[in-house]
Amino acid sequence: MAFIASVEKSDLPLGAILKVETEVGPVAVCNVDGEFFAFSDTCTHGNWSLSEGWLDGHVIECTLHMAKFDIRTGCVLSPPATCPLKTFAVEDVDGEIRIELPAPDEGGEKK
Amino acid sequence: MPNPYSGGPDRSMIDLVGGDGGEINPAIYVDEDIYRRELEQVFGRSWLFLAHGSQIPETGDFVSTYMGEDPVLVVRQKDGSVVAFLNQCRHRGMRICRTDCGKARSFTCSYHGWAYDISGRLVHVPLEQEAYHGEIDKDAWGPVRVPRIASFRNLIFGCWDEAAPDLETYIGDAAWYMDVMFDRSGAGSELISGVHKWVIPCNWKLAAEQFASDMYHAPYSHLSAVLASLPDDASPADADWPQEGAQFRAPRFGHGTGFFASERGWEFNVNTMGRTIVDYLAGKYSDAAVQHLGELRGRQITGQHMTIFPNFSFLPGINALRVWHPRGPQEMEVWSMILVDSDAPDEVKAAYRDRITRMFGTSGIFEQDDGENWVEVQRVLRGHKTRQTSLNASMGKGHTEDRSEYPGIVSGMFSEEAARGFYQHWARMMAGQSWEELAQEPASACGKPDSGS
Repeated sequence: MAFIASVEKSDLPLGAILKVETEVGPVAVCNVDGEFFAFSDTCTHGNWSLSEGWLDGHVIECTLHMAKFDIRTGCVLSPPATCPLKTFAVEDVDGEIRIELPAPDEGGEKK
Repeated sequence: MPNPYSGGPDRSMIDLVGGDGGEINPAIYVDEDIYRRELEQVFGRSWLFLAHGSQIPETGDFVSTYMGEDPVLVVRQKDGSVVAFLNQCRHRGMRICRTDCGKARSFTCSYHGWAYDISGRLVHVPLEQEAYHGEIDKDAWGPVRVPRIASFRNLIFGCWDEAAPDLETYIGDAAWYMDVMFDRSGAGSELISGVHKWVIPCNWKLAAEQFASDMYHAPYSHLSAVLASLPDDASPADADWPQEGAQFRAPRFGHGTGFFASERGWEFNVNTMGRTIVDYLAGKYSDAAVQHLGELRGRQITGQHMTIFPNFSFLPGINALRVWHPRGPQEMEVWSMILVDSDAPDEVKAAYRDRITRMFGTSGIFEQDDGENWVEVQRVLRGHKTRQTSLNASMGKGHTEDRSEYPGIVSGMFSEEAARGFYQHWARMMAGQSWEELAQEPASACGKPDSGS
């Protein structure tokens, strides 16, 4: 079954990123031109929060060593990261942004 | 003049400035050993200006500056406090941040990627498991913190010395004079964004001393700039400067200022500063300042020059602000900023940006006069004989005045009382006197001979 985390849409203005603590570890959720995306908050290179990073369109850049990921697919766009980022489906339900998370035993990254 | 500098501390340092600061041995402007000692004893112990609060309003905002020759990052924290730390990676010593200012979420060394959070904590070491075998103590290897940070009127200062008095005590009586510029209306102040920086070949003390104590140079050094600013049909009498004024010498810690004090206000400067600024300072906009600071500081004190020891200087009213960063005994890096009252009208802020850049910016018409003097003084000191020749800072010695309207030690406007205060404090710091000793007012501040240390 899918776990759900949620944030208020009003807490996510254009260009904002929020860090949400979940059952499967911290998740970043952001607003790109009115569309919402969620992905694992921890950079796959170093232990650093991507919600602290720079968001440019659909690209998130880690401030620590400038690794870049496509937040739609989790693909690595720039080293030093080499492992892709986990991404999660989101749904806008009456002003509530719901993030669908895998159960911890289904490949989540519970820490 | 025999050169009393023996390379050692103590009495020889006091002798370098003639005991009371009135006779200067030019070794203090050229000698490498004195310079290294200065970085340790003066810049390593004094409160130093780091930044204006308006430069770093939000979390992660930072400026990169210097304490003496030590590069430091000054960073606004999440709780609103300010932290400063050496801009030096503890791994191989690379500069952690290579830009002048900005907003950071973290700082990463561009050499091997050691990364720090905005408080200077080492948070990531690449290949920590693979290369360091998980054995590095990250908490122990952050950049060195400046232990003391304090603010006065949104001016942020830092100090390396735990034994130094608090900032308020350090500034002391000078605060009353600083407020002419930094607390004019009670609404606070802000910097016009952008710092002009230039390097000129002269010792930093030549500039710091002049801003502390020297009204005397103005009618001569700056005559051409004043004349060039006059309209064709103006009479030279239009630029006639007030004759009344005073000079302040801080009883301790080396600060100084001087100024005109006249009911004529700023009108004599209208051709250089422009109508908008002159009206702001002494005309239709000045009622709030008079209400806040009184008639004397709100309207009558003009042309003020000031130094907070050692290297933070400014011109209240003109609102030029300076840091003289030392770069060896024979060179300094000038950092020049313009300050405005936060509640000044936009046209006044714009006028300050334009007029003061023209007067005191990198190629400012007044700046050129000063820079030329300092650089020539330094060039003359390339000689053998010139370095053996003492210089005179005796003006007004023994002629302090009893002026109840002013705090601190006061003399006439044309005096070197504040220069002697500057050099005497410098020499006592160089001699390694403790802060307890430095807090004692030297006897010669009242015109009596100094007993030494």
